[in-house]
Amino acid sequence: MARSVRVTVDGAVLEAPEGTPLLQAMLDAGLDIPHYCYHPKLSIDGSCRLCQVEIEGMPKLQISCYTPVRDGMVVRTQTPEVARTRQGVLELLLLNHPLDCPICDKAGECWLQNYAFRFGSHFARTVEPRRKHGKRLDIGERMLLDQERCILCRRCVRFCREITGTGELAVFKLGDRSLLDIYDQRLDNDYSICTADICPVGALESKDFHHRMRVWFLRETASVCPGCANGCNIMIGERGNRIWRLTPRRNDAVNDTWMCDWGRLNYSFPQAPQRLLSPMVAEGGRLAAVSWEQALERCAAELRRFVARHGGSSVGAVASPHLTNEELFRFGQLLAALGVETSAAPVRRGRFDNLLIKAEKAANAAGARLLGLARGSDDGLKALCDGIERGRLKALYLCGEDLFEVLVPERAQRLLSSLELVIFQGLALLPALSGAAVVFPATTFAEKEGSFTNHAGRVQRIWRALQPAPGWLCDGEIFSRLRSALCGERDTFDPAEVFQEMAAAAAPFSGLTLEQLGTAGVPAANGAAAP
Amino acid sequence: MPVGVIKVARPAPTLAQRRPWLALLVGLWVATRHFFQSAFLFARGRQNFTVHFPEQRFLQPPAMRGMPVLVRMSNGKERCVACGLCEWACPTSCITIFPAETADGVERYPEVFDIDMSRCMFCGLCEEACPEEAIVMSRQVEIACYSRRGSLWHKEDLLVPRDQLQTRLDYLHRHYDA
Repeated sequence: MARSVRVTVDGAVLEAPEGTPLLQAMLDAGLDIPHYCYHPKLSIDGSCRLCQVEIEGMPKLQISCYTPVRDGMVVRTQTPEVARTRQGVLELLLLNHPLDCPICDKAGECWLQNYAFRFGSHFARTVEPRRKHGKRLDIGERMLLDQERCILCRRCVRFCREITGTGELAVFKLGDRSLLDIYDQRLDNDYSICTADICPVGALESKDFHHRMRVWFLRETASVCPGCANGCNIMIGERGNRIWRLTPRRNDAVNDTWMCDWGRLNYSFPQAPQRLLSPMVAEGGRLAAVSWEQALERCAAELRRFVARHGGSSVGAVASPHLTNEELFRFGQLLAALGVETSAAPVRRGRFDNLLIKAEKAANAAGARLLGLARGSDDGLKALCDGIERGRLKALYLCGEDLFEVLVPERAQRLLSSLELVIFQGLALLPALSGAAVVFPATTFAEKEGSFTNHAGRVQRIWRALQPAPGWLCDGEIFSRLRSALCGERDTFDPAEVFQEMAAAAAPFSGLTLEQLGTAGVPAANGAAAP
Repeated sequence: MPVGVIKVARPAPTLAQRRPWLALLVGLWVATRHFFQSAFLFARGRQNFTVHFPEQRFLQPPAMRGMPVLVRMSNGKERCVACGLCEWACPTSCITIFPAETADGVERYPEVFDIDMSRCMFCGLCEEACPEEAIVMSRQVEIACYSRRGSLWHKEDLLVPRDQLQTRLDYLHRHYDA
């Protein structure tokens, strides 16, 4: 820990570790200092000149991003000279900036717009024509570049060099001919859309969000990316009960300020047309939509009859690693009530890197392991498959579609067809499941509250962004209702209460509450070992 | 510090406050004046006091705000670039826009531009918010319909050639450039 130093800014004393950039110290103290090129997760460039402040003892204004704090420094940020300098810098930036705001996706969250309104002069003195550069250049599979809008802060250049190490972008030419462009290699790295996030203006745009929705209409909800075990913190941009984009949310313990392109573009499944919208039960050889109550009644009756005839140990269970901790805990309780002994939580594994992308392609595989729903290095899959193939397991409560992604399709089909009773709870009905007795629609991460445990055992909270249909029961409520139907005791599903129960029952979560997790999350007591 | 009391002199009541029934006389005077004016003009054969709607129509002044319409440029396309500012400015949220991309230089156009006229209150804030002079208040107010669906106007119904809106545009230029 570096020595702490004291700096006086506008009469107030700030304390910061030695060596911190002055700008960062001021931003941490809640001061609003305009800046473009400085980014806490990138190296310092000092190219935008907007963060200049007056420091006592220095002959001229200094850029606060490249000035480390020193003990006894006296800084002024509200003097007329600072205001005049900011206005001058903004005027120079706006000299050639096209007035594209009506068609620019960044409008509304554009730093140039915001600062020009707050610190700029509001009048242009130029009569000369603006420079012409490339517009809407296709520089990558997921990215567009507008060179006219670029203010040459080089955040994206540093991002590609320092974070992804791919270095596709660079500023070419000199002076007022400078322009941002790519080398021979296109901007196709796995984190390319992060450059659109850190771009203070609309020079770099995501093709996916291009001309889709105005940012000021979006309601942002904090959540966690469901794409892989890393659990990147995100904001869900919702409007009209539809997700329009996902953006990373800063969490230094998980994802800094980044997220991968795959996770970011993986938001369409909650509004997929093939999603199940109502529960179904088998009626004369085919599945028919019924009400929630009817389906729950039927499901409880089937389970009761089956357990009475064959015993609870003949029922297998597959927990979905996309369920929240609370729902998995309730599922575990339901299985215990039935006397189920064999459970698995298969996780699809895929490509990974050593920045953010993890091999396990589900948000809560670690949670399933911590709650004892998956044992062994293969998540209990082998025991489950063997049990079905040897005829020991005759019924299956199947949550999620992951089983079909992990097993070879023919094998999954064969396993399912050898079962007497299948209860399925998932987002979409696969053809292999046409023989299911009861089908419940599952709920996506965006429609529920709760918590996920990431690969490192960090418990992180998610909030509801989309409103499910009236009367809709989320996964945890289905488990709770089934348990109350089977055991007779009244059982409700409130994430905070269930979390409390879970903290009392499961050692890794002991001492935690859902409120305590906050937006940043808390590590579980003994971190989940990710294979 | 004790609270002080300041005595304020009550202003002397005006004539209208002292004699409220005088307002009745004023009203009667207006009605009587109009009656005799009309009678006089009728006797002279100049019946300019009644407009026989719908055969005759009043030419509304350009400041009048009728229903909002979209400006159609000479190339047949809308001027709108779907920036969404009118949607944002609209106090009744009656505008729905979904933007899309075009290959021409404008880059962006509204794929869907719907105005729910049953919710529109003709306030003109959309016109004021528009950076492109693409949505203006027309003189059209006769937009009654038989079904609720009929009050939902789509982009094709809303487009009006620019020259038909010239009076309003000239008025706006005078109004905002002053």
